[in-house]
Amino acid sequence: MTSLSQPAVTPPSTSALPDPNGPELDPGASHGHGHGAHADHTMTGFVIFLASESLIFLALFVGYAVYKSSAPLWLPAGVEGLEVREPLINTVVLVSSSLVIWLAERALHRQRLGEFRAWWLLTMAMGTYFVVGQAIEWQHLSFGLASGVFGASFYLLTGFHGLHVVTGLALMAFLLVRSLRPGLVLPEGKGVLAVSLFWHFVDVIWVVLFVLTYVWQRR
Amino acid sequence: MASSTSSPSLDPRVLKEPLPMPGPQGNWRRYFTFNTDAKVIGIQYIAVALLFLLVGGLLAMIMRGELITPPADLVDPTVYNGLYTMHGTVMLFLFLFPVLNGFNNLLIPPMIGAPDMAFPRLNALAFWLFPVFGVILMASFLVPGGPSGSGWWAYPPLSTQNPLGHAINGQLLWILSVALSGVSSIMGAVNFCTTILRMRAPGMGLFKMPIFCWTALAAQLIQLMGLPVLTAGAAMLLFDLSFGTSFFKPEGGGDPMLYQHFFWFYSHPAVYVMALPIFGIFSELFPVYARKPLFGYKVVAIASFAITVLSLIVWVHHMFYSGTPQWMRNVFMVTTMLIAVPTGIKVFAWIATLWRGSIRLSTPMLFCLAGVFNFIFAGITGVMLATVPVDIHVGNTYFVVGHFHYIIFNMITFGVFAAIYHWFPKFTGRMYYESLGKLHFILTFIGSTLNFLPMHWAGLMGMPRRVASYDPEFATANVLASLGAFLLGVATIPFLLNLVSSLVRGPKAPPNPWNAIGLEWLLPSPPPAENFEDDVPTVISGPYGYGLGRPLVEDQERFERRALEA
Amino acid sequence: MTSTGRSQANRGPSLLLVAAGLGLDALASWTMAQQSYRWLPVQASTAAPYVDNLFALETGIGTFILVGCSAVIAWTLLFNRAPKYDLDDGDPIEGNLTLEIIWTVIPLLVVLAIAWHTIGINRTLATLGGKQRLATAAPLTSASLLATGSLPMAAGSLPIATDSEDVGPIQVIARQWSWEFIYPNGVRSSELHLPVDRQIYFRLISMDVLHGFYIPAFRLKQDLIPGSVIDYRLTPSRQGRYRLRDSMFSGGYFATNQTDVVVETGAEFEAWLAAAERAPLRPSFNAANEIWQQRLAEGNRGWATVPPAPPPEVNVSLDPQNSHEA
Repeated sequence: MTSLSQPAVTPPSTSALPDPNGPELDPGASHGHGHGAHADHTMTGFVIFLASESLIFLALFVGYAVYKSSAPLWLPAGVEGLEVREPLINTVVLVSSSLVIWLAERALHRQRLGEFRAWWLLTMAMGTYFVVGQAIEWQHLSFGLASGVFGASFYLLTGFHGLHVVTGLALMAFLLVRSLRPGLVLPEGKGVLAVSLFWHFVDVIWVVLFVLTYVWQRR
Repeated sequence: MASSTSSPSLDPRVLKEPLPMPGPQGNWRRYFTFNTDAKVIGIQYIAVALLFLLVGGLLAMIMRGELITPPADLVDPTVYNGLYTMHGTVMLFLFLFPVLNGFNNLLIPPMIGAPDMAFPRLNALAFWLFPVFGVILMASFLVPGGPSGSGWWAYPPLSTQNPLGHAINGQLLWILSVALSGVSSIMGAVNFCTTILRMRAPGMGLFKMPIFCWTALAAQLIQLMGLPVLTAGAAMLLFDLSFGTSFFKPEGGGDPMLYQHFFWFYSHPAVYVMALPIFGIFSELFPVYARKPLFGYKVVAIASFAITVLSLIVWVHHMFYSGTPQWMRNVFMVTTMLIAVPTGIKVFAWIATLWRGSIRLSTPMLFCLAGVFNFIFAGITGVMLATVPVDIHVGNTYFVVGHFHYIIFNMITFGVFAAIYHWFPKFTGRMYYESLGKLHFILTFIGSTLNFLPMHWAGLMGMPRRVASYDPEFATANVLASLGAFLLGVATIPFLLNLVSSLVRGPKAPPNPWNAIGLEWLLPSPPPAENFEDDVPTVISGPYGYGLGRPLVEDQERFERRALEA
Repeated sequence: MTSTGRSQANRGPSLLLVAAGLGLDALASWTMAQQSYRWLPVQASTAAPYVDNLFALETGIGTFILVGCSAVIAWTLLFNRAPKYDLDDGDPIEGNLTLEIIWTVIPLLVVLAIAWHTIGINRTLATLGGKQRLATAAPLTSASLLATGSLPMAAGSLPIATDSEDVGPIQVIARQWSWEFIYPNGVRSSELHLPVDRQIYFRLISMDVLHGFYIPAFRLKQDLIPGSVIDYRLTPSRQGRYRLRDSMFSGGYFATNQTDVVVETGAEFEAWLAAAERAPLRPSFNAANEIWQQRLAEGNRGWATVPPAPPPEVNVSLDPQNSHEA
């Protein structure tokens, strides 16, 4: 068995508790998911996928900006604009969770499993806070999906982003549950890396979205 | 890519694993299962895609039957609209994309010496979405009101009119089907790109890679960049159709033009997603049948990426007469015409590859030669269409229909046929019948020319596309086109007969019947489930070394012997 | 010939052969360019000669390339074929930098030259004016169009010259599936009458879906976009009766959505306009409606379509019996 990135002097058996500095956090691949994918490839594939996914948002953002600056009708009758205060708090919480998930990642690298779980849970809590806050905001809005091109764009953008947040939360919950099964969390290092990357992606998208919809209100 | 100890491009640990499903070679049942073997998936793709080629062809023949006389007398005009919409959708999303994904699956791993795709399960999932969205699209024939009749562009507001008001309607199923096809394509694109980038044989740097892999990579990059934009547009269209939004409805401040931008941002490059792998196939086949190295390999390889980049900045040429301002027309006219340069490089390289070769006119070569001839013709009409004043006259007429059928059938599908014949022995282990192949070629060439050449003339005279009836002055061109279409229908008979009879009782194929150079030809026919398994050859020279007397890989004789003995 | 390299001695004859081939190719190209005018309808607008000349130019260049490439391919097929059972390879030529540069640079220059030339033509034609998005929360109705002056003027719209020779703006209204033309004096017609050799201004309006205003004899086409008013202008240059076709697919009975353009002398046009003003409004002939009524009578079979809009009320209706020139 040849390990690609570890120095040859390191016997592969030590990867039961793997070298935290090596990119090879997934010895599962070395004794085989059967015919399955190799973890390094998984990361390549995942980055390619995220790059592609970001273009959906890019397209939606461009569409929003074009409509915002050119549509003869924008805000529905009786709507002044969007309330910024609550969403701003939401934004701060979501963006800070990027830092928290980074702490979780670091804890895993240092093989502090308990600490990892704590940061991981905190990230999930912050993400949940964001989703709930978003849902409350939706409930109190005076316009709907069918309220002209503004309403449609607003709900499509925030909804599509919210879907990504929920997906991120589900992935985190999945990894958390797996980490509770003894001896299995460390092999999931690649999974943690991927989910964390996804979470940063979701946060960056939100910042752009927030600027586009909440900050840029004047026509 | 080579490293001191082992190549990072190939991970030996995924080799020689017990396979989850494939079973023994002769087990046909595996073709109906969730099999993760790329070669099984490749054949699954091609088989189902050919089935849909027949469906799409049948729809086309009904359409040509309608158009053989000026009035709309064979089918109701609304039925005609549904037929042409489904014809286009089936041919693009259920025939061409899948058949090319089939070739990607069959060819990429053996060509680069990989055991399989990077993500075999994702690969199988991507394939099994294909029958799902195929069935969804076919099911739209059965819903009240019939299938979508708004054309494969599905331009709003027409596509969001939903005349019967049902929640489940042909247009909805159309959007769902196309969206699922997009999901499947993205899965495939992630897989193909990762495989090509990470799993090449030791010694196979990018510039030792066969051109087919270059073009596949270039094409899949377009998928990754274009499809998300189409997805955004399709999502908005779905909301407009089913949830009362007004993204593209003027009543709520929306603009139908935005959809056209989203649609063409993907759908023009989509043509290159289909054309690029065919360029790859031409580049593979000409050296084999002319017994010469590919002329200017590096330039041909790089030209693929020039096409990828340019294809993403030309989409507005579909909107020259949609109220696009003059400066924008000029910009997109120039970018569109620039595409002639990298494609020209490829064409000239193929012709130079023929020059002073030792040419064998077997069926695949005939299809390639005719495909390139047709492509030169289509390229010229393409440049005509890129120039704004000519496009303003012939845009949205039969001239365009003729042009893109020259691309999509007379070039791309010819390339598909060439590839099927060329690699048939490799992946089935049987030789095809040359005389039936030649008959198929002759009928196809005459039929397609008769079908699509007169369309240009009808368009120049001003016959709009998508009409169910037309003025009598267009009758001659349409009769010719219809006769050509029926001849194309006849041409499928020797093709299918050849496939079936060769599969059943064709002579056994040797590992390398064409005396071709390439990793896939160092494998037995058909190759074993994991290609080279853990004994991957080290590539020491570039592809297409015909007449140069250099070996492709270290220990070439050993691999040749091993393939023969298998 | 196939396997032996050519010596210096026979380079002369082969150069001669190439020169003769290029000459023949040029001749064929010139012939095809001349022929190309015959594939097009009569030229009935000032734009048509520009379009046709450009098309002829491209036909000529295209023929040169197609014939040239085909001749080389044919040459190789004639003289570089492998004899049966001959397993030899061809000349192992891997590339030639000079050639590759030539066939990159020359096509680049050719397409840039065509583009440059075409940008000039675009500037000359300049048929398209401004486009104004309508700020209406409700779909357009015939009633809202009745007051001809009520439409907002397009931003950057074509200036309608005070020069009395210019005609317009004529409102072009497309529906599923009919055409209606409203003249500045209020005359409504489903047939488009235009005076020859005068610049005509149009305002293109669609009431439902996308349509295309396409007159092949004029070589001009412009989409009508619901929710927008588009200014457009053209100058007919030849008297006659031509087809106006819907070029952007508009659903159900799209193919029937065509009418005639009658180009006549100024005097004839004025007379027609005056007579039309006196004629009472009546429903226009409408092919889509006839097919629709027939479909209803036969039990409404066929696939889903919106019913045709009621035929427009016009002073002058098109007559399907008239024959057109192009």
